[in-house]
Amino acid sequence: MLKINAKHVNPFVEAAMRVVTQITGIEVRRGHLSYKPKAEPSYGVSIIIGIYGYLTGQIVYSLDGTLAERLVDKLLDGKSPQEKKIMFLDALGEVANMITGNATSLLNQRRDQVLNITTPAIAAGTNLSVHLVPKPALVLGLITQYGPIEISIAVEEKETLQETDSVEGLLSEA
Amino acid sequence: MGKRVLVVDDANFMRMVVKDTLMPNGFEIVGEATNGVEAVSKYNELKPDLVTMDITMKVKDGLEAAREIIAADPNARIVMVTALGQEKMLLDAIALGVRDFVVKPFTKERILSAVEKALL
Repeated sequence: MLKINAKHVNPFVEAAMRVVTQITGIEVRRGHLSYKPKAEPSYGVSIIIGIYGYLTGQIVYSLDGTLAERLVDKLLDGKSPQEKKIMFLDALGEVANMITGNATSLLNQRRDQVLNITTPAIAAGTNLSVHLVPKPALVLGLITQYGPIEISIAVEEKETLQETDSVEGLLSEA
Repeated sequence: MGKRVLVVDDANFMRMVVKDTLMPNGFEIVGEATNGVEAVSKYNELKPDLVTMDITMKVKDGLEAAREIIAADPNARIVMVTALGQEKMLLDAIALGVRDFVVKPFTKERILSAVEKALL
């Protein structure tokens, strides 16, 4: 049975809701929480960010193309279609970067340590194969008026896994 | 003439946001860099009045680049603009001599305030 600490999950929900709403004006609601044996993305646009420090692993953001276009439209309001096209993936990567960065700040209770993140790796389109570290993930569903966002959290604590909750416990809370 | 600013961020989108905030407010963007190595090189070449610096970048991160710039020029004025807002990271940056620390996403008022204060 996967053991994971609830405090590793909720900061991502809070950060995603705050960041997306602040920079795009699009409202985000919390959806279902589920489990996957591997953090494979469900939709056509995927952004992968690594976390390292006393937590290690990957965060995989996944959303469909329509929502991705809406987000970029809002982020680059006033820019030309050509500029939006050029910066499409870059802007989405930055949104994921902000969510992950803000989440690490929220979950970092150890003030003498830091959690670092990698630059985002972004994939978009059909028939893409995304290679991920084969770790189980808790999958957070977020809902917007333009479509869902899926955040797969596959992180492990380096030290002892005390104060943990079971996946079943987390699922029953969601 | 406006104060001369070097904008460092690996994301084209974020460099655009910073430029679009600073330029209408009288700042001159004299250069851009996409990683820490470029940042140090362009700082030495351009001698800007101020640098806005991301942290998470490939090749060399923003904290390391800030350390090198300040070691060579203790009067360098650097404002970190980053998604990472952890307390220890902030304290480490301030200890390096960084003037301020702006966490993304930011408002235009926040980054303008940080830049203007750093230039006082």
